[in-house]
Amino acid sequence: MPGRTTLRQTMLGWSIARHGLAMLVTVLLGGLLSATLVRFAPGFDVDENQLDPRLNAASVQALRDARLQEHNVARFYYKSLMRAAHGDLGTSISLGQPVTTLLKQRAPLTLRLVSIGLLMSWSAALALALSAAWWRSASYDAVTTIVSGLFLCLPAAVLALLSVLWNVPGSLAIALIVFPRSYRYARNLLAKAYSLPHIITARAKGLSELRILLWHAMPVIGPQLLAVAGVSVSVAVGAAIPVEALCGLAGFGQLAWQAALARDLPLLVNITVLVTLVTLLANSGADVLGQALRGEHA
Amino acid sequence: MMRRRNSSFAPSGLARPNSSTHSLRCGLHSFAASRLGHGVRRTIFQYFLPLMFCFTFLGQVWAQGGGELRFCLRAEPKTFDPLKVEDDASVSIRYLTGGVLVRMNRQTQALEPELAQSWKVSKDGKSISFKLRTGISFSDGTPFSAEDVAYTVQQLMDPALHSPTGDAFRSGPSKVETKIISPSQIAITFPAPVAGLDRLFDQVAILSARSSKKEMAVLGPFMVADYKPGTTVLLKRNPNYWKTDAQGRKLPYLDSISLDIQPNRDVEMLRFKRGEVDLINALDSEYFDKLAATSPQLVHDAGASLDSEQMWFNEVAKAPLPAYKKNWFRSATFRRAVSQAINREDLSRVVFRGHAQPAVGPFSPANKFWFNSKLKPTVYSPQASLKSLQAEGFRLENGTLKDREGNDVVFSIITNSGNKYRERMAVLIQEDLQKVGIHVNVVTLDFPSLIERMTQTFDYEAILLGLTNVGLDPNEEMNVWLSSSENHQWNPQQKTPETAWEAEIDRLMRAQASGADAKKRKESFDRVQEIVVEQAPFIFLVNKNALSAVSSSVQGASPVILHPQTFWNAERLTVTAK
Repeated sequence: MPGRTTLRQTMLGWSIARHGLAMLVTVLLGGLLSATLVRFAPGFDVDENQLDPRLNAASVQALRDARLQEHNVARFYYKSLMRAAHGDLGTSISLGQPVTTLLKQRAPLTLRLVSIGLLMSWSAALALALSAAWWRSASYDAVTTIVSGLFLCLPAAVLALLSVLWNVPGSLAIALIVFPRSYRYARNLLAKAYSLPHIITARAKGLSELRILLWHAMPVIGPQLLAVAGVSVSVAVGAAIPVEALCGLAGFGQLAWQAALARDLPLLVNITVLVTLVTLLANSGADVLGQALRGEHA
Repeated sequence: MMRRRNSSFAPSGLARPNSSTHSLRCGLHSFAASRLGHGVRRTIFQYFLPLMFCFTFLGQVWAQGGGELRFCLRAEPKTFDPLKVEDDASVSIRYLTGGVLVRMNRQTQALEPELAQSWKVSKDGKSISFKLRTGISFSDGTPFSAEDVAYTVQQLMDPALHSPTGDAFRSGPSKVETKIISPSQIAITFPAPVAGLDRLFDQVAILSARSSKKEMAVLGPFMVADYKPGTTVLLKRNPNYWKTDAQGRKLPYLDSISLDIQPNRDVEMLRFKRGEVDLINALDSEYFDKLAATSPQLVHDAGASLDSEQMWFNEVAKAPLPAYKKNWFRSATFRRAVSQAINREDLSRVVFRGHAQPAVGPFSPANKFWFNSKLKPTVYSPQASLKSLQAEGFRLENGTLKDREGNDVVFSIITNSGNKYRERMAVLIQEDLQKVGIHVNVVTLDFPSLIERMTQTFDYEAILLGLTNVGLDPNEEMNVWLSSSENHQWNPQQKTPETAWEAEIDRLMRAQASGADAKKRKESFDRVQEIVVEQAPFIFLVNKNALSAVSSSVQGASPVILHPQTFWNAERLTVTAK
């Protein structure tokens, strides 16, 4: 049916364009909001080095002047956007290095931490959720629910500290932070799917579990699982901040923490924009992919 | 309290008796005597054993020559340019890589010649001339001469530089003149006298005027070989380093130093316990005691450091405070009474677990030359405190102190959040002052917020903070003591001194800054210390001890109170295999 395919493609194209526009607006607003919050945070105007008794009045004044350029938020943000359009993200006040360089240096570690963390958490969540759906054992379900509940109750900082104490990788801490959320959604979706009449019938007829999962369960739960996966990216990126800060890992999270403490406006705004962008990309990507899958299924 | 490691105080690995070599020789001796014939024995004694001994000795020497020292920097170094250095991490790197004309021995606090063989300061304190060592090269092979010193000084004195190192030399508006007398002689003249001029050169790492590598070409024992931002700075031995030890061996002994950037002190401690790092500087007293309980040979308490913890009241005329509170804070009697009511012994014992000394005045006794030994410690006495407050018109009613107008004496102390020692000190001060009827509220703020209140809005009543002293000379604290300066914390930027005693401090500080006679300078600064104790604009509380930890794999370490505590003699340290 070529007409139906074209319509579906047009709708998908519209959906991508809508998501793109929403992303752009959200990112710009996020950046402005972040700049405004930092600008009006107490202690924005000061530099700790002002307290160095060896500095003379001219040097202290020079430190103050450096902050004056950022007093007007609107002007700062406009200038930052203009510079960003030419590939210049400004210079970090606290670290004295170009923001682009800092982000490039820190990105690989955070990317690795978050990717491995997500992979571990989703592998564990899907394995446990599937086994719970297949076995349908009340005691097994109870044990997995209690374990995931326990991790859900533990603050991210505690898990990060435990990973330091036990000398385990930070990615495991991120995995344990994401795991309970992924597991609970995956378990509920799978349990619901496996109670559908056609899947019960398929199991009664003796179809293999793998065939049931891939041919009957996944088409039903796929789009929803993708949406949860999108959300879990945001959770993992958020978890990277305390994990990196507490474990002393030199990624975005640690950089964001240092920038916040130093009221480093250029660095904070760029990190906020980048994190917002990653989160939106993950969520919108999951949405669009889910929509495409639903369309395919229909 | 001083804990010593058995092996750490030997001057170098080579000077120590080599017990393992000795026992090996004895063992072979008895074996040879019992089993072999006389001729063979003779051969063994004449040739084989001495040869074995030589190999063993050379093996030991070789083993001591290598190794990598690992420790943590608590923040990212902001710069590798030694002239722009202001943060602790960069100071540490400058110390390890920079070659200086004169170096203050961190143990004796005396100046010693380094790149300069000798030096002379003029009587008026404006000029200094250096006679330089010859035949020295930078790490990249470019030769060192007076031209490099002139270049460094000109760069350092650039008005646009705004670095603490450069500002310490600025004595007047005119330019600094450098005169190259010969490739190994140079004279530097400043527009006005600079107090303690020669000591300031301890902080000036000489740059190469000709090297294309600029600040990466160094004259110190190590050079930056690799930098992984946020993770590590790797220093390698400078192959052109000029120093040798008493036996003529080239220094430094170490092959490399790995500086791991680790802001989290808990992680630093864990890594030390796991053997992943070899040193910890400025160890927390809590960690010190924990480590001392299990491995007392690893920890060092070098005694009171230069750092002080102090509190002060807001005496700024335009501060947004009620007039009656300003009157209390501007009264020396009130400030002294508060000082008397604080139990400093308790602060040292409870908060710092005995690893701190009650502070006497502005300078710690650790500053051997400048500390005024005639100062009397403030005696803790709530009764005497209350008595002097009553003489000033205050009265105690139902456990609450009231002023003449009937206002309850209540104020808040601000300190920086996250500093558990200051938070605990504030609570103890709160309890102490309650005994004389003063109610204290403890407020913690993050550091930028606190600095904003302290330097811009003046919206505070009292502040509890610490002062980290890097240098020994009072001239480096001019901006604290001059009433017109920004860092005159209790009442900064006064157009003219608002009190007679501040005018007197201004006069004495300027007198000591313009004199070259150390004895006269000391007399002036002794009087400044006396006035500060009498007037109590700062209430000095404790001087923290210099605590550190050194792994047993590090040989030759001898921690001191001055920065950089454990690795001040890095060029003579060795690390044995773990």
